Amino acid sequence: MENSLYLAWSSESEIQKTASSGGAVTTLLKFALENKLVDAVLAVKKRDNSRFDAVPVLITDPELIRETAGTLHFAPLNMAKFVKDYLDGARDTRIAVTCKPCDARAFIELAKRNQVYRENLFLAGLNCSGTFQPAVADQMIREVYGENPQELAMEEIEGGKLIITLKDGTTKEKDLAELAGQGFEMRENCLRCSCKIPRMADIACGRWGNNGQAATFIEICSPKGHEFVDAAARDGVLVTEAATGKQIEERRQKETEAVEHALAREKRDLDGLHDLSHEERLKYWVGHLNRCIKCFGCRDACPICFCKECYLEPYRDCIAGGETPPNIMFQLVRLSHVADSCVNCGQCQDACPMEIPLTRLYNSLNRELADLFHYIPGVDVDAPPPLTTATDQELSIDAPYIIEEQSSAR
Amino acid sequence: MSNEFDPKILAFLCNWCSYAGADLAGVSRMQYPPNIRVVRFMCTGRIDPLFIIRALTRGVDGVLIGGCHPGECHYGKGNLYTRRRVLMTKRLLECLGIEPERLRLEWVAASEGPKFAQVVKDFTEETKSLGPNPLTTLRREEAVI
Ligand code: SF4
Ligand code: SF4
Ligand code: SF4
Ligand code: FES
Repeated sequence: MENSLYLAWSSESEIQKTASSGGAVTTLLKFALENKLVDAVLAVKKRDNSRFDAVPVLITDPELIRETAGTLHFAPLNMAKFVKDYLDGARDTRIAVTCKPCDARAFIELAKRNQVYRENLFLAGLNCSGTFQPAVADQMIREVYGENPQELAMEEIEGGKLIITLKDGTTKEKDLAELAGQGFEMRENCLRCSCKIPRMADIACGRWGNNGQAATFIEICSPKGHEFVDAAARDGVLVTEAATGKQIEERRQKETEAVEHALAREKRDLDGLHDLSHEERLKYWVGHLNRCIKCFGCRDACPICFCKECYLEPYRDCIAGGETPPNIMFQLVRLSHVADSCVNCGQCQDACPMEIPLTRLYNSLNRELADLFHYIPGVDVDAPPPLTTATDQELSIDAPYIIEEQSSAR
Repeated sequence: MSNEFDPKILAFLCNWCSYAGADLAGVSRMQYPPNIRVVRFMCTGRIDPLFIIRALTRGVDGVLIGGCHPGECHYGKGNLYTRRRVLMTKRLLECLGIEPERLRLEWVAASEGPKFAQVVKDFTEETKSLGPNPLTTLRREEAVI
């Protein structure tokens, strides 16, 4: 089935005003809740009105949805973790969740491992051009933009620029490249992230292709996506219009550009490591990993890690208790456990107090495996995880290091 | 110089094929290097990649895995899962900076005594040429960032 492409906006002028891009997502979520298409909405909200501190909120009162409108680029969370850990995987609640691509990918991987109930989730995907760590963003606003971070009203990333709007209405923009030159970069996993439009979600929404109008470009990616958008459009709360060829082309171009940029960055970061000799690379990693203070932050923040009986706990007799830095096995356990499921969300690295570039390690292995198994975690919705799969066809391949006959390879 | 270094190799063999193959090599009095220590598994499918990684972080110089040929695993597809996991683990080692050649997977049937002896010989030679496991030689303070 071809995905349908629309431009959509809210027919309520209230929402039009507070939400970005015509408020289509806010309206859709509110509609879904009011009409019992879902029991609750999980979204992100500012804590104490700070754009540098976000908390997930579970909303059951449609009137409260508006508080979550707008995107926060300086406070990245991963929503999948909350659903898995605190909402029983949505076992008996139908929940609509707003998702960046990495959130949506985490949901897909968790669903494949029976950790969340995909059928009870409505994934409202939001395109993403990347996010900053709160502390980095705060310092950047003060030092580079020369503004008080608490005066920030909105920020957007568009055309290689970070544009901020202050509460008094003034806007200031800087080139991302220029900011990088002064040491203020997005999270490194974001710089390498080539999944900008979350097509694994039920709908993928964003500004690309909206021609600067107050409208959201929506790509409908599943039957459930159709059901929700159609119902809201029939009701009249959401106004939809088929996207024109020109709009589709504009969006495609922006996506291609962003993806190429990310792939180039990935190549630069990872090839650098790959080109080292084994000895140099091992020194590099052991050097980093030896700073580990074994706070377990990376494990606890990872949306994918889900074992109840974790190998990292001393009673499992794998990593000795009371020893820092731990044996490098500590990080290798995690690496091997998320090898075919890490979605490059960067939560582990954000959590690490020792600033160990964990995603660089995960990303290196990820890239190698994508090559080997033709599988990108969280992107291929239907493909089974490659490390817990074996096909009948493989029964007749004898070579110890080949799982696919050459002829059937890509 | 190569005869100064005597590698330690851990072999994970499945009960039904490779262990029997090793046995056959033994009863047939075939010569192979005494560098391997064998751990027997009911099926290679039981081999968690962590076993491999753990062996290496604890200082063995090479890990050899022996299982039934595809289609002959006594549990159906255990060896197929293993093949995928070994592929992953080799890449993991590579990413970290450990020569992936320190891990080898071979299919050895119960009747393949000579093959078993040959595999052990080859792998011992290869491990010897790689030298000691770098994790044992890289002292913590040497690592710089
Ligand atoms: S990893 Fe990708 S999807 Fe996630 S926040 Fe960064 S750019 Fe967005
Ligand atoms: S390992 Fe890190 S980047 Fe990968 S899914 Fe877990 S938290 Fe995200
Ligand atoms: S978050 Fe960093 S310091 Fe804490 S356990 Fe993980 S790697 Fe170690
Ligand atoms: S029984 Fe030999 S590999 Fe499964």
